[in-house]
Amino acid sequence: MKIECTIDGKALSLSVNSNKPLSLILMEDVGNRSLLCHCKGEACGNCIVLLNDEATLSCVIPAFRLKDATISTFESYQKTRLCRDIERAYLRNGNTPCPNCYASKTLIIESILQTLTNVRSTRTGPIMSRPRIPASLDEGLDEKAIIQELSLNTCQCMHMSELVQIVETALSFRRRKRVPRN
Amino acid sequence: MYQGIRSPVIHTPKTLNEFNATILRYPNARIWAGGTYIMSQKEYYPSDSKDSIIDLGGMEEMKKITRNDRFVEIGSMVSASQLLYAGKLVLPAILQETLETLASQIVRRQITVGGSLCIPDMRLALSTTLAILDASAEFKFYQGGKVSTHWIPVARMYDKEGKLALGVDNALLTRIRIGLDYGDFHSLFTVEDPMRNTEKCVIFAFQANRSQNSLSKVQFCMNFPTKAFHMSKDIESKLSSLTLPIHPERVNTISYELVAELKKQHSTITALQLERGRRMFESVLHKLNSKTLQT
Repeated sequence: MKIECTIDGKALSLSVNSNKPLSLILMEDVGNRSLLCHCKGEACGNCIVLLNDEATLSCVIPAFRLKDATISTFESYQKTRLCRDIERAYLRNGNTPCPNCYASKTLIIESILQTLTNVRSTRTGPIMSRPRIPASLDEGLDEKAIIQELSLNTCQCMHMSELVQIVETALSFRRRKRVPRN
Repeated sequence: MYQGIRSPVIHTPKTLNEFNATILRYPNARIWAGGTYIMSQKEYYPSDSKDSIIDLGGMEEMKKITRNDRFVEIGSMVSASQLLYAGKLVLPAILQETLETLASQIVRRQITVGGSLCIPDMRLALSTTLAILDASAEFKFYQGGKVSTHWIPVARMYDKEGKLALGVDNALLTRIRIGLDYGDFHSLFTVEDPMRNTEKCVIFAFQANRSQNSLSKVQFCMNFPTKAFHMSKDIESKLSSLTLPIHPERVNTISYELVAELKKQHSTITALQLERGRRMFESVLHKLNSKTLQT
């Protein structure tokens, strides 16, 4: 099956099996280095990517659902200014996820921040020119919901309370950035 | 790496008529809704399955939510996330709670209502809640080149072990209908993630109507995801005749009756699951008592 899609800003035409999971396409056909393994249904939560600007588990997206899709992996996300908020939050809290889950946890936190700030990020472009679109159909998130989101990644390298703290810190950075300056 | 693996043919019908034509032509095709369950199976890829896939993702007529003064109808391709958003105005509170506990927001965007109800061998929280809400599902059956439409109560879609039991090979769930005449007390308990900890998970949904200190229209479902989908008309009718508050000894007696019934009918349930189920059941009845005494 031939699929036209955009991965990390590059327009690609891929010839892959129609039911091949996106995680395997990224690892085997695109050579993406931010995805480390394919869990084969173990639901490890280590394969998060942004599919059309929404965080998604790439192991449950088949190739035939990728026609004309825009996929951003951690490789391109880490170059954006949005990632800086989360990296600064890691530094501020003195704790960083392990290399296995770093990409995935960061993208989950980004998804939470998008919901909480109600702004959906674009892959590139200056922050102030981003379109203001409701980030999610579910409105808002309480702490229980944040923990539920973070639990999607099963790596135990960090305690949940530390991750919640990081989300709060990153959120304060993100909100500060959104205050219009005269 | 996967030489010799055949790429399945993907059919993408846009309307029900197109779907009907496709399924009658390719009766062995796999019907694909959200795909979260199919793709989370270990043997999903690579596999040597030669069956083609019918992707329901393009069928707009199955993505609608409509409501009138008697019921809500939900298209089977509505995602859990979309339903949760719409649900704040149109759905019973217990269904919203169920959708919130179903999975994280990231996964909820992919899970579809129809896909969740039609998992062949495992029952999740959505089936449990819809069963106690007396929801019905519209199915199109495809047999011998003919199409027939049937409304089936969600509670009767499954056998006692919770496996999908429709009695036909090819069927399509098109919409769910939920009546708006539900009880004023409801409770949902989910212990452990049914996908990750199937052997320890218990899901319990309960609803009832309290009027003048008496209990009526009691409905409950205790779900042990791969082992039992238990609804007891016997215990429901016993509870329906009770006056509130229920005496703690009576609560105790009924909960052990439920355990005995579960043990008798479902031998595979573990002791841990049984104990969890019993405590959930007791806890709901105590919560019911406490609400009664507060008012």
